[in-house]
This record gives sequence, structure tokens and C-alpha cells, in this order.
Amino acid sequence: MVLCQIIVRSAFRSLQTSIKPQLKIQARYLSISLSNCSERKYTKKHEWVQIEENNIGTVGISTYAQEALGDIVYAQLPDVGSSFRQKDECGALESVKAASEIYSPVSGDVTEKNLEVEETPSLINTSCYDKGWLFKIKLAKPSELDELLDEKQYDEFLKSDAH
Amino acid sequence: MMNSMSFAKQTRGLLGIIITGTYRNNLRAIGSNKFFSSTTTGSTSTTTNASKENEPIKKSVFISQSYDIFTNLAIEDWIYRNYDLSSHHILMLWVNNPCVVVGRHQNPFSESNEKALKAAGIELARRNSGGGTVYHDRNNLNCTFFTPRNRYDRKYNLNLISRGIYREYGIDTEISERDDILLHGKKISGTAAKLGRPNAYHHCTLLVDCNKDHLRGALKRTGKEEIISKATASVPSPIKNLADVNKNVNVQSLLTAIGYEFLRTTPDKLFDGGREYVMQQRGFQLINPTEKWFPGLNELRENFASWDWIYGKTPKFAVETKIEFKSGIECHNMKVVVDVEKGLIQKIDLNFKGEVMPIVSSLIGQAYNENNLEKITSALKNVSTENVKNVFEAKNGL
Repeated sequence: MVLCQIIVRSAFRSLQTSIKPQLKIQARYLSISLSNCSERKYTKKHEWVQIEENNIGTVGISTYAQEALGDIVYAQLPDVGSSFRQKDECGALESVKAASEIYSPVSGDVTEKNLEVEETPSLINTSCYDKGWLFKIKLAKPSELDELLDEKQYDEFLKSDAH
Repeated sequence: MMNSMSFAKQTRGLLGIIITGTYRNNLRAIGSNKFFSSTTTGSTSTTTNASKENEPIKKSVFISQSYDIFTNLAIEDWIYRNYDLSSHHILMLWVNNPCVVVGRHQNPFSESNEKALKAAGIELARRNSGGGTVYHDRNNLNCTFFTPRNRYDRKYNLNLISRGIYREYGIDTEISERDDILLHGKKISGTAAKLGRPNAYHHCTLLVDCNKDHLRGALKRTGKEEIISKATASVPSPIKNLADVNKNVNVQSLLTAIGYEFLRTTPDKLFDGGREYVMQQRGFQLINPTEKWFPGLNELRENFASWDWIYGKTPKFAVETKIEFKSGIECHNMKVVVDVEKGLIQKIDLNFKGEVMPIVSSLIGQAYNENNLEKITSALKNVSTENVKNVFEAKNGL
């Protein structure tokens, strides 16, 4: 994240010093692509977690997972205040008669759940990294993030047979 | 055809030998599956999975000796949690005393008839898998296919069942888009699944000669109240028993037929490996649901049989019902709305022409059930219509 901010800042700096409109467009694309991939970490069970401020992470499932599940008709999300250890079962998503477990990618206490997803579970299918997030968790052991996969490692993991 | 017939006879003989074998034999066979070691370490080790991944897959058929739905759900859960399935695929076959089983995210009040269940002594249970509500009795066979998540394949399992039924009885069945097995266009089997990591299971029912009156009575709701909820709703379908088309079908012979079809079919694709392949598998094992065999089983069973699981896990819902007042004065638009969360009554509101009046009641915080709903409606009946109107008017400042 820090690294990305530096890159963005330097990009903006070069933008400010430049007067060419073309450069402005390039910089905008650059910042969008950076915000999309910044710091989202994945588990081999296909959950992702993205850290905001105060060690609070937003948790969801990956495109691969949502495509594998098909149309999600019910989301059972963890209650606010509940605590989980890393890899604990913390909820379930139901699609085509199958209940699929959600595993917590990190240890911590749940601070918020996505009520919109409870109301409209298909948001997970249409927007799994944005509107379809599942819950927010206050990290108990931030060092656990180091064990998770970054975007590139996760893509490689998907290409392997192991998943 | 001759070959398969004589094979069936031979294999049935084999089954007799294995099943009449002692429990000691079964215990030894199960002990060698290393699941005792995996329970002591608390989880299935990934290193074990990795080392076993390239081993040829062996198959077992487990036959539960229990007719208790909660025990059978507990055995299923125990196997799902504790087994290393990477080179060992299991089919569990089980039969229950009369019960209604709702899916993990369903509302038992909208899916079943509480009074009919009580009157007929039918148990109500909630399972861990998705899908809709089913009725079981001693003439229904349940099949659970346990595999690693990456080998989960419902179509393979359903086709295997369909082939087994054809081989044994010559009955033609088909598999629907919804993964039901159909006989003459009517449903004989319903499917559901639970997907975790590393394990998963797919289970299904098979109607042999179920009591259709009990089935219909148990699954038909008679209450007039409306239940509003996000819970998964069942899709009611016309059903058929296998025994309707062939009187030779009974649970015991079907169990043997499906078990053998599983053992003779290769795990990668539906290829018939014949008798030779069967002999390489681990065969049939009777499962005795004891703490000694499955440490921690009693606790799992208690959880499945608890109010907290069966009713407390109901997705939040609201019940709306019309109120008729004693005085009989026209008040058609008045409804009572009961909000229920985790199975408990959270809020009771009276609703009149869009106006909402909260009701204070000792029933708030109590378990929701038909009895308590009746208490609410009958208490409100005794309130005079004029009083209610006055309260609403006062609220509106009129």
C-alpha cells in the first residue's frame, strides 16, 4: 500500500509538472489499476482480504470462487462481534442446492457485515471485489497477512492443479 | 446381461460374508483408515494429503446401523470433518425413522406442518447442506458421497445411482436439470451438498416405498399467516416411489445394488470396472455409531438435536396475519406483524392502513412457534376495536 501511494504520488507529481492532457489520462488509468490490485491478499480457499485503516480488513470471495459456485441465493454471514481464528468456518453461501463454507482468511473480531449482500446475495456474483464484499474484521494478528498470496501468486495458484 | 446377472448373485454372496463378519473386523478395517490419527492432531494434515494425492483411490461403502436422523447427520458431519479423503472415497448409506429434514438455510415454519409432525410423531431436523425440505421414513434410502472438494461431482454420483437401479431392476430413470432423479417424469430423488475445504459431500434421497400421505401431510403448511423471509424456499415436485413400478424394489436390495455400483465404478469417470475392480476396493462396512468409533460423535448429535440448531438457525423472518376483533366491526386492513430473529420473537407490531403501532408483550424474547402466534392473535382479539382506533388516531394527533 505504502509503495503504491508513493508510485501514485510520483505519478501525480509528474502530472502536475506536465501540461500535456495525454499524460493526465495515462495517470488516471495508472491510479485506477493500482487501486484495484493494491494489497488484496488471497487464501488458497479463494477468500480475499483487503486492509483498510486501523487494521480492519474487508473480506470477500474471488472471481474464481463465485464462478465455481454459480448463482448465489443465500448468504449466511458472521454476526458483528463474533471472533474467529484464521481458517475457521465463519459463514456459508448457498447456490444450486450446495452450502459452501466461508473460511476466515485472518484471525480477529467481526466489525461489520454486508447487509446489502444478505438482502441481495447475487451481488457476490456481479461484484465480488466491490459491492459483494462479505464482512469486515479487526485483525488480531496482522502478521498472518504475510502468509497469504498476493494477486500474482494467487493467479499462479489458479493455473496449477492444486486448487 | 447374463454376465451381469451372475455377477450380481456372486457379489450378493460376498456382501453376506462381509456383513456377517464381526464388528472386530469392521473396527480393524476402519482403524486402518488413519482417521483416528487425524482426530488426535485435530485436523487433516495437508502434508498427508499431498503425499496421498498420487495414490490410487480406494472406495468404501459405509452402512449406518442407526435409524436416528440426528445420529446419522452427526456421523455424516464426523466423516466430513475428520477423514482424509484424498485417496479414499466413501459412500454412506443410511435410513431414518420418519422425519422431515429442512435445508441449512430454510425456515421450518414455512416448509413443514408443525402440528402434523407432532401428531404423527415425525421428527424435525435441520441438515448442514443446502437445498430444500425432504421427508424420510424407513422406506427411503439416503446416499452420501464423500470426496475431496476438487473431486465433488454430483452428475457422476447421480448417474452412478441411475446405472445401479437399471442394472438391478431394469428400471429406466433420468436426471433432471435440477439434479433430481426422475422416474416417468416424477421425482424419486432430491439432492443437496456441503462444500468445504478440503472435504465435500453430496447427498440424496431415494424413495423406495415412502408413506406418501405422511410425506404430503408433513410438508404441507395449513396456517393462513404469511411468512416473509430470505430463506431458501423448496420447490415442491410430484413424487414417485420405485416400488410403484417394480414391487421387487426394497431398501435392502437397493442398498446392496447402489453399494456395488459404487464399488465397481472407477472414480475418474463412469467406467464399469466389474468384479475385478470391486475386489480391489475396501468393500462394505457396517458403521456402529458409538463414541468409541467416532470420538466426539455424541456432542455432534446433541448439536443437531438442539433447539438452537433446528429453530435458532432459521434465517430472520416476519410473520403477517390478519386480525379479527371480537366486536366484528370492519377492520379488514389491520394486521399483526411478528419479527423473528434466531428463532426468537423480536418485535410485534400492529399495522393499520400503513400506520405501525408496536405492542408490548411478555412474548418478546420467547421462541416463535404456532402456539405463541395464536397467543398473540387471541390476545388482540379481546381488545376493543374502538380502543385500537383511538390509539391510532391519538398517535396521528387527530
